Amino acid sequence: MIGFIVLATFIGIIIVSFAAIIQPKLSDSIILFMGVGLGSVVLFFVFGAPDVALTEAVIGAGISSLIFLMALKHLKAQK
Amino acid sequence: MSIKRSLATSTISGFALSATLILTFLNVLLQNLPTSVSRAGDALLQLNSQEGVANVVTTVVVYFRGFDTLGEIAVLFIASLGLGLMLGSNSKCDIKAESNFMLKTASTILFPIIMLYGMYVMIYGHLSPGGGFQGGVIIASAVLLLLISHKEFEVPHSLIVLLETLAGVSYVLIGLIGLFTLDIFLGNFLPHDISQMGMLLSGGIIPIIYIIVGIKVGSEMSMITQNLIKRGENV
Amino acid sequence: MFEYFNEPQTIKTIVTIGSMTLFFIGLFGLLTQKHFIKIFMSIAIMESSIFLFFIGNIFNKDFTAPIISEGFSTVTKMNDPIPQAMILTAIVIGMAVLALGVSFTIEYYRLTGNTDIDKMNEMRY
Repeated sequence: MIGFIVLATFIGIIIVSFAAIIQPKLSDSIILFMGVGLGSVVLFFVFGAPDVALTEAVIGAGISSLIFLMALKHLKAQK
Repeated sequence: MSIKRSLATSTISGFALSATLILTFLNVLLQNLPTSVSRAGDALLQLNSQEGVANVVTTVVVYFRGFDTLGEIAVLFIASLGLGLMLGSNSKCDIKAESNFMLKTASTILFPIIMLYGMYVMIYGHLSPGGGFQGGVIIASAVLLLLISHKEFEVPHSLIVLLETLAGVSYVLIGLIGLFTLDIFLGNFLPHDISQMGMLLSGGIIPIIYIIVGIKVGSEMSMITQNLIKRGENV
Repeated sequence: MFEYFNEPQTIKTIVTIGSMTLFFIGLFGLLTQKHFIKIFMSIAIMESSIFLFFIGNIFNKDFTAPIISEGFSTVTKMNDPIPQAMILTAIVIGMAVLALGVSFTIEYYRLTGNTDIDKMNEMRY
């Protein structure tokens, strides 16, 4: 059962990350990047590392994506 | 796209695809490692019983590899310094918009709850998954929630400077006290019985150091998010 | 059919192939994209792939998480705590470097007004 979960999550992460890179709009790209962080959290938890999962959830899907969003707001405000 | 750019793109993609295939083949072929490999963590798992801390990863991060954590805090400090140098200013912020009544009320109710949760994760870092880094960033995200919903809110600069300075200095001071009493930098000079494993006051200086790390990381991340949101026109 | 997926060899193969593919997707994005933000995002994807490779290759189905609690008080069947401590440090440092790089992007856009690396030629001639 664990092997099936790992395989399905890996396929999801690969598809979402490839879609995040080739999107023309930047706001869609950042939201898809948050999906990579989410899949990463699920994989870290299944592999038996709860400390790393909590850190990746807070930093990868919280602060790192928010840094990109705030940069996007500054890049568009000075058109 | 011009001919040159499409040629370059296809060449690079072909390169990447072939590299993936080659690595796949190699990794499938070389998978016959011996099943019983002795791990480096076994010795540390046995040594952990002398400290009396329930979370082994916390002991490794704070006590056995405490000097690396000091270096990591230095890297975070340099990043915060660089951000303050590039984007900091004293002028008023004019990029925030006036927000809704619902947003203001909800964020005022949620802010103490998230702050309390962040402090809980920080203080119970040696008993359950968590610790200083996680709790500090949760506190910074509570401050970020207030920053984006209220137009006139600013993080007080002198308070952040005071917290950061005290946290950084006390980390090194605790290390020096351990050096003078036990001949080990960052040695454990407070009592740490194994019978207290699972209680809040266990493990000697390990929860104290993690709380100091959490305060420093939380204040630095709050300053980083404020510098990224508010950027004056004339620097 | 699900029994085939639970062997340790299969899981190690899946983890290695998946994280290497993610690494090369990030490398592809780093080489071909022109916007600054997309380049930083590709670097972050590459870092995430290496963390998954690290934690996934020491995974053992019978071992539990390295936390001593009521039901799990023996330390003989626990995961390795050393790679987890190293990955924790690496995640935080990756975030710090990303924040610094994004601040450079914002300041460069304020000074010259372009976000395209093909038009970034002030140091030529």
